[in-house]
Amino acid sequence: MKNLFLLAILCLLATGVYAQSATPPTRFTLQGRAVDTLGTALPSSTVMLLSPKDSVMVNFGRADEKGAFTFRNLKTGSYILTISFVGYIPYSQLIKAPAEATLDLGNLRMKPITKELFEVVVRTAKAPLTIKGDTIEYNAASFKVPPGSTVEDLLRKLPGVQVDQDGNIRAQGQAVNRVTVDGKQFFGSDPKLATKNLQADAITKVQVFNDKTEQSKLTGINDGKQEKTVNLQLKEEFKKGGFGKATVGAGPASNGISPRYDGRGNYNKFDSKQQLSAVLLGNNANQGGLSFNDYQDFRGSNAFNWNDNADFGFSSGNRFISFGDDNESLTIPISGGDNRGFSRNMAGGVNYNYDTKKTKLSTSYYFNQTRLQLDALRDQQRALTGSLLHTTDTSNQNNFGANHRVSLRFEKQLDSMQTLIVISNSRIGIGNNNLLSRQFINRQIGDNPEQPYTTSRTQNTSNSNQFATANTALYRLKFQKKGRSLALSATYQLNRNDGDLLLQAQNQFFQATTVNQMQQAINQAQASNLRSDQYKANALFVEPFAKKFYWETFYNFSLRYDEVDRDVLNVADSRRRVDSLSLYYKNNYVYNRLGSSVRYSYKGLNVSGGLAGQVFTLDGKFSADQSLPLQSIRRTYTTVVPNVGLNYDLKNNKYLYGSYEVGVQIPSSRDLQPVTINTNPLNVTKGNPTLLPSLNHEVSVGFSYFNPGSFINFWSNVYTTSYVNQIVYSQTIDRQTLVTTTMPENITGGRNTGTYLNFGFPLKKTKATLGLNAQLSAGRNLTRIREVNRVDGQEQELENRLNETKNQNYNVGARLELTPKDWLTFYANANIGVTNARYSINTSQNQTIYNNNFRGDLNLKFPGDIYLNTTFNYRSYVNDKLGFRQQIPILNTSLYHILGKAKRAEIRLSAYDLLNRNVFVNQYAGQNYTQTEQIQTLARYFLLSFTYNMRGVTAKMRRQDFY
Amino acid sequence: MYKCCILLLLLTASLAASAQKTEGVVEYRRITHWSKIYRRMTFLSQEQKDRITLREKNWEEDNKGEKMKLLFSPTQSLYTYSGDASESQDAGYSWRQSDLIMTRNFTGEHQTDIMEMLGKVYIVDDSLRTPVWKIGNQIKEVAGYICMKAETQDVIKGQTITAWFAQDIPVPAGPERLNGLPGLILEVDINDGDLEIVAQSVTFRSLTADELKVPKTKGKKISDAEYNDMLKKKIAESIAAHENPYWNIRY
Repeated sequence: MKNLFLLAILCLLATGVYAQSATPPTRFTLQGRAVDTLGTALPSSTVMLLSPKDSVMVNFGRADEKGAFTFRNLKTGSYILTISFVGYIPYSQLIKAPAEATLDLGNLRMKPITKELFEVVVRTAKAPLTIKGDTIEYNAASFKVPPGSTVEDLLRKLPGVQVDQDGNIRAQGQAVNRVTVDGKQFFGSDPKLATKNLQADAITKVQVFNDKTEQSKLTGINDGKQEKTVNLQLKEEFKKGGFGKATVGAGPASNGISPRYDGRGNYNKFDSKQQLSAVLLGNNANQGGLSFNDYQDFRGSNAFNWNDNADFGFSSGNRFISFGDDNESLTIPISGGDNRGFSRNMAGGVNYNYDTKKTKLSTSYYFNQTRLQLDALRDQQRALTGSLLHTTDTSNQNNFGANHRVSLRFEKQLDSMQTLIVISNSRIGIGNNNLLSRQFINRQIGDNPEQPYTTSRTQNTSNSNQFATANTALYRLKFQKKGRSLALSATYQLNRNDGDLLLQAQNQFFQATTVNQMQQAINQAQASNLRSDQYKANALFVEPFAKKFYWETFYNFSLRYDEVDRDVLNVADSRRRVDSLSLYYKNNYVYNRLGSSVRYSYKGLNVSGGLAGQVFTLDGKFSADQSLPLQSIRRTYTTVVPNVGLNYDLKNNKYLYGSYEVGVQIPSSRDLQPVTINTNPLNVTKGNPTLLPSLNHEVSVGFSYFNPGSFINFWSNVYTTSYVNQIVYSQTIDRQTLVTTTMPENITGGRNTGTYLNFGFPLKKTKATLGLNAQLSAGRNLTRIREVNRVDGQEQELENRLNETKNQNYNVGARLELTPKDWLTFYANANIGVTNARYSINTSQNQTIYNNNFRGDLNLKFPGDIYLNTTFNYRSYVNDKLGFRQQIPILNTSLYHILGKAKRAEIRLSAYDLLNRNVFVNQYAGQNYTQTEQIQTLARYFLLSFTYNMRGVTAKMRRQDFY
Repeated sequence: MYKCCILLLLLTASLAASAQKTEGVVEYRRITHWSKIYRRMTFLSQEQKDRITLREKNWEEDNKGEKMKLLFSPTQSLYTYSGDASESQDAGYSWRQSDLIMTRNFTGEHQTDIMEMLGKVYIVDDSLRTPVWKIGNQIKEVAGYICMKAETQDVIKGQTITAWFAQDIPVPAGPERLNGLPGLILEVDINDGDLEIVAQSVTFRSLTADELKVPKTKGKKISDAEYNDMLKKKIAESIAAHENPYWNIRY
């Protein structure tokens, strides 16, 4: 370029000199004739005139059949004439302004490209040839080499390059003495170091060119010698490398709590195909697990996989069958829970991914453990016919849980039509819990004062071992006919839970009729072995039967086998078996579904309609012990469910959708097992082996709009759900002891209707945005309430009512985002929530609860890379009926400084809950009761922490960006 | 020997055909590499960029892009989505494609582009604009044609656009808003692989006037300069709001 430029100036000077001697014409004509080396015409060659300064094209034309071309009326000046013809080396010549009006260049001979090189061009689309003067250099990439090949293997493939046995390289006959990587010397001067060690697939381009010698570069004097140099250009996005970060923090003992610590670190190593990552964290600062970002970094390219759902169904909407699941998830938990109590956490894991276009493998191991201390106070009011139960519960809980998780995902493209995916997730967990609880139940009849009825002091010590695994194979086949496809899947799941519980309770019943019945002592050892096996098989076939129409048919089979062996021994009575609480139970729950639907899909309009028939068969057997004869339960339940879906992508970012779906919820193993659980002796739960699946009919319509020009967005939806055979926990209350027994039952008639509205718009573009949202819903829930009297072990029903609770929820919120300056951002939220609950069983218990939340978040940047983040969160909980009012202001602030030129380190001083007011509060109003819960939670503490991030620390001035 | 024959065939074939090869249809595949585009967002930290790259990796590998077509004649061209591109692929859901028709009239020196963007349909109507092309010294093959390299800059979007034009199809047409080279543009690469438009096939046939007609569309008529101002403003606004502008603007 530089040479050309000089040349151009020279030319200009030259013309200047000419100008003095004779007046040159201001315009001239250029003509010539493109011929090959033998003088044969090259007809219709492309002829271009470029500016010699920057190669900008000034004019172009075509030669005639004889290869002749003419440019008329050219402005005086210099040009580069370039002629191109297929199969020939493009011809270039510098043209100086002539003294005459016409410049005839005569025959311009073009050289053919050698056969070998031409093939290279034709064969390798991504390997363009660079032409310099008369010779050809190539920028070569994507020459196929087997995986794992080195650059040396790649070079052997390049025409014109020879690599001998020792690895010495010759290019175009000359020895290569220098190999650079991205223009830089790679590990000293031995060119073999780079070519033998670098992976071929990390390279996008190989450039072979003549460079000045090191000597002349150093001295700046061109010694005229040139060295053959090979430059390897690395792929930008997958340069081999690693990144990682680590944070350690500690704080002094204060505020009656021990010193705090928080440490976390992760490291990732990757190349174009493989990723290896490790993560480790530990703290006593209520920080449970991986954040969403940490999880993404940990799992890498396999953090999210779509299309892994093996339970096929109607293509619109959600999964249609959900299986009740009592267990902790098999996959790695993201963000550990809510900030409750005091917890000590530890977690760590290793992940390995191998990705190629055809084969993808991802495996991980993850360990986590948490020790949680919960001191809770619960206050509950339960409405009964004409009376009210008031329960207070003070408890101390110490829970320990540890889990090992192993996951594997393997995806293989068998050929262009077939894909196989295997997914396996397993978890081994242990847990031990200690619970000490004191409960008081008072009863209030009418407006009379409360009367004490029952107290209980309970101590539970439990241990459990769990094992769970889920394994799925998913096969997809595309047919030659476009749109026709078949998918098959099979799943095996196993859940085992073996637990021991020592239960000690002292209960007092003040209203008992006999002295004997006034005291109850429980001292039991309970052992239970639970096992649940599930087998699933699914098929889906899609046939395009007309243009824009698809016919989908699916079949689902599922068999769940549950087995429970539970032995309850009375420790006080020489470990005698308690038959009423012991149980042996086994159950098969079989589910078959066949469905079909038709879908129209074109230009963003997708409409579908379908029907499915489903049969559930329940086959249960149980008795107090294996040795005893088994009682049998058999039920079959058949339904036909419709499905309608609409998705309409309208012009200008408007989107309309609607659906009518029937969801099916199969009862969980726990709800089915006829086990009596008396861990809380005043609130006993029982399973129900005759439970049918619950169906929910849901109709929803939604609309969304986004204007990217004005940044205005709006979304809304309306839904209504009505339940058939809803699984509801009915209550049976012993009027004398006020012991409540809950048992799941199928009840039809519950429903829920609601709407969601969201509107966001900029107050001032890019500086201030306001968002408004409202969520309104009304629901009707039915619960069966029975009151009984137990006389000599006989149950006598006094009352049996179906309570209808009407709930109205109003939630309105506003969100303000201010980003006026680089050094100042402010975010504010306000949310007001009102719940009205009305009970048909006892209207005097109708009540309103308020959950309000206000939050402000200020970020400031000071000179010298110092930043301040302050958040203030004000939560308010009100229930006038219970006389409950709790206001919790939480002020957090942290000051941090980003260190160093490379900005890789950060030092931070954080203060959590400066006002020392933190407590966890939860309010609930539903069924026939209202409850408030308060848990002592980690309050004011300070932490001084240090972070090192290999990729650099960035100040967080903005809330999470959407990217 | 065999290879030699092929070479000969190829050379003679292109020679013989070159005379009337000036009218027909090019089918392109247009692939946008989002993770590369994100790497250019100044408001993202290195950590965020790496996270996006890693997360999108498997998806990027399967990215088949969208099908586009260019109808060309020596005097006119029309660029839009190809055939039933809005029909669903692999029996999935179909989505609506925003309006996009780009036409060039080389003899009338006029261009009309219908583009739905930023929540509106714009009709950019102006005299023919030809980018300032620099001709490079590289050749390669695209869809069976030997192409030369040309380069231009888009100062509004900050892009280096590399185009490969066929040596032996003397039509100044091209995909997107590109034209004015001595040969038909068969491949475009924006910013070293952020976006690739690669011809899959070139079919020569005569086109009817109807095919090349600009369809009647309602929209806001603006000039090329107004269009550029609008882009400039939107890009600056989006970057200030920490948003990727190319979710709403064609890259």
